[in-house]
Formats: sequence, C-alpha cells, structure tokens
Amino acid sequence: MTLDSGRFLPRGELEHLFTALQADGRRVVGPTVVDGAVVYDELTSPAQLPVGWQADMAPGRYRLRSTGGERAFDYTIPLTSWKRFTHPSFVPLTRGRHDEGQVLVESVVTDAPRLAFVGVRACEVAALAIQTRAMRAGPLGDADHAARDDAALVVAVECATSTSTCFCTSMGTGPEVNGGVDIVLAELDDGFVVRSGTPAGARLIKGLGLRPAAAAETDRASKQVAAVREAIGDPVPAEGLPARLRAALDHPRWDQVAERCLACANCTLVCPTCFCTSVAVASDLDGIEGSTTRTWDSCFSLGFGRVAGDANFRPQVRDRYRQWLTHKFSTWWDQFGSTGCVGCGRCIAWCPVGIDVREELRAVAPADAPTGPIPWPRSPAAGRAPAPLETVLPATHAVATVRALAAETADTTTLRLACSDAAILAARPGQFVMVELPAFAVPPISISRMLPDGIELTIRAVGPATSAITSLQLGAEISLRGPMGRGWPVAEAYGRDVVIVAGGIGLAPIRPLIDMILKERPRFGAVRLYLGARTPQDRLYVHEMHALAGRADLQVSEIVDRAGPEWTGRVGVVTQLFDQATWNGGRVTAFMCGPERMMQATATTLGRLNVRPAATWLTLERNMACGVGTCGHCQLGPFFVCRDGPVFSLAALGDAFGREGL
Amino acid sequence: MRSSKRALLSKTRFAAGMSPDVCKRLAALAEVADVPAGTHVIREGEPIAALGVVISGRIALRLNVPGVGQQTILTVDDGDVFGWSAVMPGSRSTSTGTALVPTQALLFDRDRLLAAMAEDCELASAVYQRMLKVVARRLAATRVQLLDLYHVDHAS
Repeated sequence: MTLDSGRFLPRGELEHLFTALQADGRRVVGPTVVDGAVVYDELTSPAQLPVGWQADMAPGRYRLRSTGGERAFDYTIPLTSWKRFTHPSFVPLTRGRHDEGQVLVESVVTDAPRLAFVGVRACEVAALAIQTRAMRAGPLGDADHAARDDAALVVAVECATSTSTCFCTSMGTGPEVNGGVDIVLAELDDGFVVRSGTPAGARLIKGLGLRPAAAAETDRASKQVAAVREAIGDPVPAEGLPARLRAALDHPRWDQVAERCLACANCTLVCPTCFCTSVAVASDLDGIEGSTTRTWDSCFSLGFGRVAGDANFRPQVRDRYRQWLTHKFSTWWDQFGSTGCVGCGRCIAWCPVGIDVREELRAVAPADAPTGPIPWPRSPAAGRAPAPLETVLPATHAVATVRALAAETADTTTLRLACSDAAILAARPGQFVMVELPAFAVPPISISRMLPDGIELTIRAVGPATSAITSLQLGAEISLRGPMGRGWPVAEAYGRDVVIVAGGIGLAPIRPLIDMILKERPRFGAVRLYLGARTPQDRLYVHEMHALAGRADLQVSEIVDRAGPEWTGRVGVVTQLFDQATWNGGRVTAFMCGPERMMQATATTLGRLNVRPAATWLTLERNMACGVGTCGHCQLGPFFVCRDGPVFSLAALGDAFGREGL
Repeated sequence: MRSSKRALLSKTRFAAGMSPDVCKRLAALAEVADVPAGTHVIREGEPIAALGVVISGRIALRLNVPGVGQQTILTVDDGDVFGWSAVMPGSRSTSTGTALVPTQALLFDRDRLLAAMAEDCELASAVYQRMLKVVARRLAATRVQLLDLYHVDHAS
C-alpha cells in the first residue's frame, strides 16, 4: 500500500501516538540510550527516546554525541536491530520426555506479544521484509517468526541524518521510506509529518485528530531526506555485484581479509537480516526430560559447517568470510530474490578490527570486474528436473516404534520402525527424517527403506545421539519429523540404463532407490550397481547385496579399500570398478552417494564414460539442523542442501560441487 | 582351441591403442601362464622375474604388516598388470602377488623384455607409456585410499 499525503503531529503531542499504540493493546519498542549507546528497548513514554543525541559511527567505532537539540531521532541508527524482537536469540522449540521406552515430543507454540516498533529506519523496513521472505521461503514457514511478524505494528521514521557507515543508497533500501509500514514519521524541528501505509496505521492516525501537513512541512521533510541521500552518496557498486562476486570465489582478497578477521561473529549477530540458528539441547540429570531451543548462530563459528564425524566444510576463516559476504550480496538473490544486505552499516561499526564491508566489496568485486565464469547455474532450480516437495509441518512429531534391530557392522545398525504417520509413509527414495530422542541432539537420517507400515533407518553411531538411537530396545519409541528434502528423481531414468554407485554408509539412502527400481524393473534398461566400502567387515546389507548379485537382471560389483587374505573380492577404489566398463554412457542415468571426495572421483570417471552431468544425480551431506532451509547451516553456494537437495544433479551443482571451503 | 598370444594381448585393456606391429612384437616375448588359485606370482622384496598382464582371473597385491599379517591393498583384474617393477632394471617387487582365483596371464620375462626394449625404441615407448599410465592410476587411487574416506564419511 502506498503512503497517504500526510498529517502533522506537533512535537509535544508525540505522547499521544504512544498512548494510541498502547490503547491498541501494544507494548511500544523504540530507541533509547543504554550504557552510552542507542539500542531498541521497551518504552513507556517518548521521554525515553534518545532526545538530543547523534551517533558517530566508523569502522570499529561508535560514539554518541550530544547535539543539544530537541530531536528524538537524530541518532541515525541504533547499535542493535529489530531482529531481537522478530527473530529472538532464544526460542523454545520442543519439550520432550523419554521414559521406559515411551517418547513424547511436543512443539512449543509461540505466544507472540503485540508490539509496536517505533523508529524503524528505511533500511530496517527493508530488513524486516527480507527477513520475512527468508523465514517464509522454505517448504514451510518459520512459525515463530510468522507469529511475531504478524503481531507487530511498524512505525518508521525517515532519516534526517546519516553517519559514515551508512550505504542504504547503494543497496536500494533507503533513506526514503516508500511503504511496507503502518506509519511513517518524518521528524522536523517542531514536530512530525505523519503518513499511513496500512489501514491499521490510518486508523491510528485518524484517532490522533491531526491537521493535514502543510506543503512547506512536507517539502522540508522531502528535502531533509534528500540531503541524507546526497550525504551518503553511492559507496558500493551494487549494479551487477551478485554476478561479480560469484565469479570472484578464488580472489586473493579472501585470504587477506581472513588475516584480519577474528571470526568473532559480531557482524552476523548485529546484522538485521542474518537469520542462521542452531538447536541447543537441554536435558535433566537423568536424561528423561529434554528440550530443544533455537539459538542464534553464525556462519563465522567454527562448528557451523561441521557434520557428524567431525568433517567441516568451512574450516578456514577465509571460507567463512567468503560465505558471509557472498551470501549477503550474491547468493541471497538466488535464494530469496533480493539483496541480503540493507546497508545499515552496523557490521562495520561492530567489527573489532574495523573491517569495512564496502571496502571489501570494492576490492573483491569492483565495478569493472568480470561477471563470469559462473560457478553454478543462476537459479537453484536450473539444471534439474522439477520435483514437487512433500510438505510436512515442522510441528509434526510422529511417534515410531522400534520393531527390529539389525547390526550391519561394528558401529552401524538398521532400525525397523513402525509408524502410522501418513507423511512418513509417503516418503520417497532419497528423503530423510529428523530423528528426535528427548535430551539428545536431533540428527537428520536418510530413510534406508520404505515399508507399508513404517521405515527403516540405517544409522552409524558417531556421537551421543546416534549412539543412543542405535541402542534403543525393541518396542521403544522415537520421534520423527519429515520426510524432508528432494529425493532421487527415479522417473528420470525410465527407459534408460541405470548406474548406481554407493560408498560406505552412502548405500543407506541408495537402498530405497534400488527397491523402487526393482519394483518397476521393466521400466529401466540395464541396471548396474557399484559398491565401495572401507573393508569387507564394513559392508552394509551383505546378504541383500549377495542376493541382488544373484539376479539375472542386475549387475553388482563391489570393491573394498583394504582387506585381509580371506577376502577374494576386489580391492581398490570404487572408480576401479569402471575399468572394464563397456556400456554406453549416453544411455545412462547415474545415481551416487558416498563421501564427497569419492563422488568427485566417480563423477570424473562417469564423465569420461559419457554420462551427462544432467543425468548424474548425487546426494550431499551438510550440517542440517532444521531440515527446512531456515537455519542456514547447510548452504552450498546458492543452495540449501536440506531444502533444494539433498539430491542434486551434477549439472545443477556446477562448480559448487567439491569446491574447497564452500 | 587356445587363442594365440597376440590375440590374447590385443584384446586386453593394456594393449588398447597399440599398433598391430608393436603388439605382434610384444606378444612374441610373452608366455601364457595358467596360475592356480593361491599361487604367488611375485613376492614382496624379491627380484621380479616377469611383467604380467592378466587375461582373466584376479591377482591380489599384498603387503605383510608385522603383527597383522598379509593385507591386500589392490587387486588386479582382466587387462591390468602385475610386476610392473620388471621394467625398471634392478628393482624388486613392492608387494606379493597371489592368484585369488584360477588366473590366466601373459608373462613377459624381465630380461628378454628389457633387452627387446633396448633394441626397439617403438616397443619401449609403447610399454613405458602404458606402465606410466598404470602407475599414475595406482598412485591416484592410493591417494584416495590414504584419505580413508569411509572412516569419516556420510553419517547417513
């Protein structure tokens, strides 16, 4: 909705606006001075506003300076953002109980407070909209954010001042407020030009009984914000920036900035749009009751890209700085159709070593830098067949009961779970579930077999949660959320030959694919299965694979990395199995799962055998804490592996596949 | 009827791309060996008598690990070679080669092969190019094996 023509609120009557907001059943949150800085906090009166204060911000610096004036909104921008109220740092997710084999997990429903945000700047209006898009972009919306967002009323205040760290002009987010808010104020010396942007805002303003703003007043307001635009200039060459950054993944500047960056995460915590979170697990002392809480996290933290087994996809600071910068200014466009940065400049002031993001952008991706080659297709959807997502609600905690346990190897167990949940029973090959045992972390586990009355999960015990799950007794219950992700596009292989390559426990997500292919066997040409394992003792589903090898309509080859003298099968790497391949790769659709390095080598070999990248499908592992694309952990370039994958075609991933530190 | 040595050699992956003339000259140096399962065709640390090209069957290349025993680090199948050190004068076998199943192989006596390669540059070039490919492929595979990928792999 566009803004109306404006009315005038005398300075002395600002109190009336507060009263009207409170009468609307809202608590007012706005800027106030705390410990020498302007921050957002709950206010009861306009007297608490930062009257007569202006902020000087610079790289690594923030100081308040008294102006001696009466203006309440001259501070430019508070040190903290609205994120505290729309996406709090701690949000309870679930409460659970696990007692004598019985499991109960319940979602905690947010009771969002009715808040009025007063003093929202243009860049922050944009940030709220960006955050909303991110939180509602997945197959599921973030229920907590939606509740808080819906319950908030936004009173923006156009900037009359700027500081040296501002660059909203470059990001196209300010300083003018052109809509997307309930009310906009423009502060003049004697009062405010007030405009409404929504029916709710119009009702509130009408209740104040204000006279129309005079032309001179609206003119002063316009000139004031125009002067701010002029003062800020255009410090970041934003036109074409996403493409230039995509093409600069190997720029030496990443190493240079990493020498200064402390990876302290300040920039992400103060950023009004950064939304990444983790799940913290709490337990009582006897491990019976537990709860999970969503907490802010940062792509700068060392463990952010870590997965089970201690593999870490972004071990170096350069990887993490590159992730942050390219996400904000490039891959955010792929994911959400907008910039992820609004140019508020908080990250510059908060950086303890004074790294200025504008300077880094000018160095890494100057206006005349090349925009190619593009390391991955422009859109996550490009290069892959559309696959409808099974939509499940994150609040769904389906109870499953352990009906059988089979030890596959010394550390890997297959659990047969009975479950009546319709969504779980409708799972497709390649999808995964989040498995929750109260008081333990919630790991994503690939479904290793679909059954008429449940599923199987094959789990390697690599940590406390997976150890606890694989130690469950028959009849014990467990909570499942899912199915999640995009599975194997089986139909892509109809009428074609099929090559399946599985390494180690990567055979688990492949197994339902084999089941489905065998179920629809006449639809496929030749089917060849290539299996790799560490040792003969580490092979999964040995009897099943042996039975498959005996079938006339399936060719099974296996190899292990090392073996004792009792093993008469092949020893070497999986690619060795293709040495004698005589099949025509042009007719092949390939599916593979295993360690990423193994899949890289296999992809190269398949390429030599003329298997097309668009016909080569693989499933990736990344840190997946939420499973629905809102926690941010599993990002790989423009992709959320949990939401856009975990199954991808090689063509869709492009150079993102196997690239160091991505 | 048993195939000729030349016919056997020319069908192998090892001889792929080799000119018919060179293939003929190389085949003339070969002996066909039928190796019963369990037979050691080379022994770790010992001089190598011959370069072998597997026609059919499987040879395990093993290293002895004190306290652990024989560990298979690679198997050699159809078209692959064993005893490649034979083409390096004076070298000894780096592993023990044992037939896992009845195996047929072409054996190239080391001394005859080295002498022929000294006389016949075209033959030497063809053999060394293929040896280099074999060694490079094994080096690449060994590097991947060294990473022990499955040990920290996909937690499913």
